[in-house]
Amino acid sequence: MDRRHFIKLTAISGTTAALTACGNPENQIIRFIPEDDLVPGVATWKPSICPLCAAGCGVIARVMEGDAEVFRNGKPGVIRMGLVKKLEGNPDDAISQGKLCPRGQAAIQVTYHPDRLDQPKKRSGERGGGQFADISWDEAIKELVGQLDALVAANDQASLAFLAKPRRGRRLELVADLLQRFGAKPPVTYELFSDEVLRRANSQSFGAHQLATVDLENAHYVISFGADFLGTWNSAVAQSVAYGRMRQAGPGARPKFVHVDARLTQTAANADEFVACKPGTEGLLAMAMAAVLNKTAGAGDYAPAKVAEKTGVPVEKIERLAREFAANGPSVAIVGGAPLAHTNAAFHAHAVNTLNLAANALNQSGGFSFVPQATQAATRPLTEILDAAPKLLLIDDVNPVFASPASWKVAEALKRVPFIVSFGSFVDETSALADLILPDHSFLESWVEAAPESGSAKAAPSKFGPVMRPLYDTRSTPDVLLDVSRKLAKPIAPALPNTFEEYLSAPTPEVRLKPDATSAPMARLKPDATSASMTWTEPQFDGDAAQYPYHFLPFASQALYDGSLAHLPWLQEMPDPMSSAMWCSWVEINEIKAGELGIEMGDLIEVTSTQGSVRAHAFLNPGIAPDAVAMPVGQGHTNFTRYASNRGVNPIAILAPATIAETGTLAWSATRVKIAKVGGPDKDGLILFGGATRERPDWTHGRGDEH
Amino acid sequence: MAYRWGMAVDLDKCTGCEACVTACHAENNIPTVGSQQAARGRAMHWIRVERYYEGNFPDVRVKFRPVLCQQCDNAPCEAVCPTYAAHQNEDGLNAQVYNRCIGTRYCANACSYNVRFFNFFNPEWVKPLNLQLNPDVSIREVGVMEKCTFCVQRIKAAKITAKAEDRGLVDGVLQPACAQACPTTALIFGDLNDPNSRVARLSHSPRGSKLLEDLGAEPKITYLDKQPWHEPDTY
Ligand code: SF4
Ligand code: SF4
Repeated sequence: MDRRHFIKLTAISGTTAALTACGNPENQIIRFIPEDDLVPGVATWKPSICPLCAAGCGVIARVMEGDAEVFRNGKPGVIRMGLVKKLEGNPDDAISQGKLCPRGQAAIQVTYHPDRLDQPKKRSGERGGGQFADISWDEAIKELVGQLDALVAANDQASLAFLAKPRRGRRLELVADLLQRFGAKPPVTYELFSDEVLRRANSQSFGAHQLATVDLENAHYVISFGADFLGTWNSAVAQSVAYGRMRQAGPGARPKFVHVDARLTQTAANADEFVACKPGTEGLLAMAMAAVLNKTAGAGDYAPAKVAEKTGVPVEKIERLAREFAANGPSVAIVGGAPLAHTNAAFHAHAVNTLNLAANALNQSGGFSFVPQATQAATRPLTEILDAAPKLLLIDDVNPVFASPASWKVAEALKRVPFIVSFGSFVDETSALADLILPDHSFLESWVEAAPESGSAKAAPSKFGPVMRPLYDTRSTPDVLLDVSRKLAKPIAPALPNTFEEYLSAPTPEVRLKPDATSAPMARLKPDATSASMTWTEPQFDGDAAQYPYHFLPFASQALYDGSLAHLPWLQEMPDPMSSAMWCSWVEINEIKAGELGIEMGDLIEVTSTQGSVRAHAFLNPGIAPDAVAMPVGQGHTNFTRYASNRGVNPIAILAPATIAETGTLAWSATRVKIAKVGGPDKDGLILFGGATRERPDWTHGRGDEH
Repeated sequence: MAYRWGMAVDLDKCTGCEACVTACHAENNIPTVGSQQAARGRAMHWIRVERYYEGNFPDVRVKFRPVLCQQCDNAPCEAVCPTYAAHQNEDGLNAQVYNRCIGTRYCANACSYNVRFFNFFNPEWVKPLNLQLNPDVSIREVGVMEKCTFCVQRIKAAKITAKAEDRGLVDGVLQPACAQACPTTALIFGDLNDPNSRVARLSHSPRGSKLLEDLGAEPKITYLDKQPWHEPDTY
């Protein structure tokens, strides 16, 4: 029998059970409410959506009956209820196709985290001091309504701001709708590893303000410019599934995968050919390849002979890559990661689009296409609330205090906001500054939805009900927002849906690209619209090259992503794919360069930029450019649960405040650093699971091996 | 005919993502030990992804290799166990009986693949992390050796269901947690006694080899080598 027949597409109705604890003791069975679809000892599978990144992978949750200690009306007790035991990919989902990434596998720990907030909290000490006192939902909602009414009374509705993650879907749409009705400006969004510059380029090149879905499965030649598409970039599961199929093509037909970067990332490690390219010049290589394809190679600014020196890629190699790319179609190029985080990122995005157009990859099998999308709510960049502090700020599960350079002074800006409300499930560096915390249900306890931007050739919006009852006295944030809106002194019209569930059952607004749009020719590259971005400009790096000799390459951690997952113990203890490091920060230094500098594996290194310095232990990496050092993002939390607090360092903190002009997003590859050995190894410093970087010690020069 | 469970690992497909590693923790109630114990080499990962660098930048490559218990036919760990805690079961699984194990750790020393893990402490799941525990898998206590079981609880459940429905097992449906999670399907699990199963066919692939084959442990996991890209003669 097929696995999918086991999946019961049932959602339990009634998410909260009105329970009253009888008197005192903890661990008393407060009531036994059988869930009719549960048989003791037998697992039921219920669908939901992984919330940990924007990919929106469909999951199925294995639900079994068990005894849970819960909170109801401020009192603890035990109830027997359906509990999620494991998450798997949903075989019926177009994105995950029955698979998950390691982060998705660990998503269950979000729900069962021991430091999850179990009820509303009100600040009781200094701002940022992390002291909170319990408060009832009634009081909390009254407080928030009072704050909003005060803005209305002062006719100052524009001083309300809402900060969220830039996730496509109806939750953000509801927020935008409520803000507009209230008279406030659109929501502010922030994420560290933003692809906004690529969306903008795609909008100009192809009329689609979104990321493309790459048909890796049918591609015969794939060249990635920095995109960690098998690890952390975009729709990692969907891309890995397609990559697995691509590798199955069989003898003689086996496709080639080329990766261009300054560091051998996890994705690059799978490439048939790794092409080392100087940081900030990746687009030149793409343009030179396009020039060969377009047979304009001899002339023009992008002739291989002209870009060879800048990129560090020899002329013959550029020409060979271009010829292979042309001769082995269907061919496709992908750009992401570090190239899109230079000050000249727009050039790289457009250059790769140009290469794809030269290969005719748009809407081709083995090329790329854009999934039809519902129109998305307009948003504003974080800088808008940094410059002019709002009077009331609502924050929905985003942590810019951690995930932005210290020089942006986000914490200072938030401290100027008179009143902050957080809907997060945890105290983190940002919610620690809140005056009121109204914790959300976990994704397994609430209605969830996703409108994946990419990952499947067809639109794959999905929505599912809760798969288990809430453990605590939490409430679904969209429902709280609707509740608060109804309670305002001056009601906002017209009538609102009662619940998020009701909102989700209304049809999605206009679909911008029709599903059959793939057959219609899309807008071609318009030279006039893109000429400014299409002009080569040198990447700007903060820090003088003589004083700060190394490019600083922070990278998204396969386990901890952008740091938002550092609280999950499974992910903390998951060995990093490239170093096998767990529970720590490290600095990757080229193995041979380290030898010249007298640095050994595990030595304590100080990494200094013009903005400050961090210390972590050295990992000698044979796969990084000698003029670069890399650090994983994710550790260095000062206040984020027992598992992440005060562990390792945050490389984002020492980044220069460089931005990409076109989008205002952070140029996180634009910083130079210097390094100094400040100490020897320490047994709790660099914690490796495997250790050896070489299969046989005699393959190296006796370096980097412990076994 | 009896089953003989085996696996093929396609190194051409494994991307080193480690979905298998976390999936295994979730399925098998493997505790995390925390940073201090991890620094002392006590982290437990029944499946790990080894990665080996070849060459130096810029001419550098990496090989990923998922390593789990090789379920050896001629298992060195079994021969040294004084209590028969490590033994070969009727399906050819290298099984570990936790309540027979007295913690001599001889088996871990004898194993050539470094895939056996000792419980130096009683595992701790801070409440309510205990709610995620899989009720189908027993929790190991201090002093007990543990290792990959090929998700024997899933095998047992599938056999019981098949028997109740009076049918055999369908190749590819029963999967251990690692193989089920693996996005690229680099891990292929099945019955080596069924000549038509994917794993049986892949075990005879010319790309196949066994880990440390010459030690004679006769592992039931076959590693399929990366394939090279052949330049077509179009130019
Ligand atoms: S890629 Fe991973 S983290 Fe992102 S939605 Fe999918 S399973 Fe979750
Ligand atoms: S899940 Fe699959 S691709 Fe990922 S590391 Fe494990 S075997 Fe390799």
